[in-house]
Amino acid sequence: MLLADFGTTYAKFIDLAAPHPAPYLEPSKNLSHELRVDMATGHNGKRFSNRYINELTALARGGEHLIKEENFTLLDCGSRDIKFVRYEKGRLADMGWNAECGASMGFTIELLGRYYNIDYEQLPVPEQSFSVTCGVLGMSQIFDEITAGCGEETAVARFVKSIAINAYRFAGEPERIYLSGGLCDNQLFVKSFPGDVISLGRFVLLKGLAVIANKENEWP
Amino acid sequence: MLPGTEDISCLEALAPGAPVGIVGVPPLAVMTALEKSGATIYDLDESIVKRDMEETILYLPRVYCAILRTVVMNSFHLDLQAIIIDVGPGKCDCALHVATILTDRLPIPVLKTRNIDATAYGTPLCKAKLALPDKIARICKSIQNTSDHVQLPACRATAGFWGVPPRDFSLLALFPETTHVYGWTRCMENKTPADLELESHFNPTLPTVFFAQTFCAKTALAKHLASRHPHSLFLDNDITAGSSTRAKIQAFLELSGVYDASC
Repeated sequence: MLLADFGTTYAKFIDLAAPHPAPYLEPSKNLSHELRVDMATGHNGKRFSNRYINELTALARGGEHLIKEENFTLLDCGSRDIKFVRYEKGRLADMGWNAECGASMGFTIELLGRYYNIDYEQLPVPEQSFSVTCGVLGMSQIFDEITAGCGEETAVARFVKSIAINAYRFAGEPERIYLSGGLCDNQLFVKSFPGDVISLGRFVLLKGLAVIANKENEWP
Repeated sequence: MLPGTEDISCLEALAPGAPVGIVGVPPLAVMTALEKSGATIYDLDESIVKRDMEETILYLPRVYCAILRTVVMNSFHLDLQAIIIDVGPGKCDCALHVATILTDRLPIPVLKTRNIDATAYGTPLCKAKLALPDKIARICKSIQNTSDHVQLPACRATAGFWGVPPRDFSLLALFPETTHVYGWTRCMENKTPADLELESHFNPTLPTVFFAQTFCAKTALAKHLASRHPHSLFLDNDITAGSSTRAKIQAFLELSGVYDASC
């Protein structure tokens, strides 16, 4: 059974029928139009599957399975949007999906890293942040900071911290937050969150699909 | 004359069938006068004129309530003979300012009303078993006449929808038929649009979506009530419901077990 989470910049797959199943990534721009999977979620999921599960449902089911707590907040930060689910006493209590004001935050961070040749692993968390509405509008703020004499790396680091604070507030400012999605791999972003952060990696929605398909036991 | 309502005697001169637009829920006395005149009523809050909403930026900021942008679009393209616009506590301040714009720009009477009617008509549709888009469309239609509501049996509710009739009714199709309606839509059916107590009422045992139009002042009440409700989703939407809006509703209802309970 081939499951896939078709994100904006990367698709995540797992073939549970393989002898040794393991999740893997593929850049979305490399996907063949003929590709078909058994079950899909994600922004591009409907194009490639007849059984589509919406992203919040997949996120919630993945979170329920992976987090052994009755009360938790799970925030997914992807290329294009951010979304969260909050559970209280084992029940869904709140949720959100910010595709507009959270627009392109992850994608913008990746583009900035490449343009300025920044290694986010090495960049320290800056003291300051600034107010950003979304990834696109935040770009202007970076240019303003640089014009005002701030170094490029520091300006970008402030931007990344600002995005992390936005995401944290969007999720309701929990004391501890579980993080999923592509930005889990960005250490500067993860360390910029106030409070405790537990990264669950990029495959939480894929795990949610396995749960929905009753195939979670076949996950490696 | 009704307190806060402009002189409506000009309605008496309308020929039967004359097209008249209404915004919000005008007072019963005004609707009675309209019924008596035999006017053809257009609810300008509804999407009647299908044109690019960007046309309205000639008159309104782009960042403005989509319902009132719709009102402006309809008002400029329908060949109306009068407009009755409620601007009181049963509607909003933004409608008051839109009334100013329409008065200034259109060559027809634009009559402002302040509906503070308190006679409860009841809310049978809000509690009936009906597809939610149809249910809310019938509630919107019900404000256009003054006759008593047809009584309908109340169904056992499995979900709640709190809020105003959305600009895009397609988002309502995601709810089960057993969804009870709350908020200003309930006030509409009750013909008491300024009844804040009724508007603020919700059922804490029902998973409920608290909806308001983006850029509408009611987003504050929707967000506040959602925070007081133990099992809720606050949702705002502008002109059309995008994929994330639909997914939020669908996931909330699914994860709350509403679809299972409605089978």
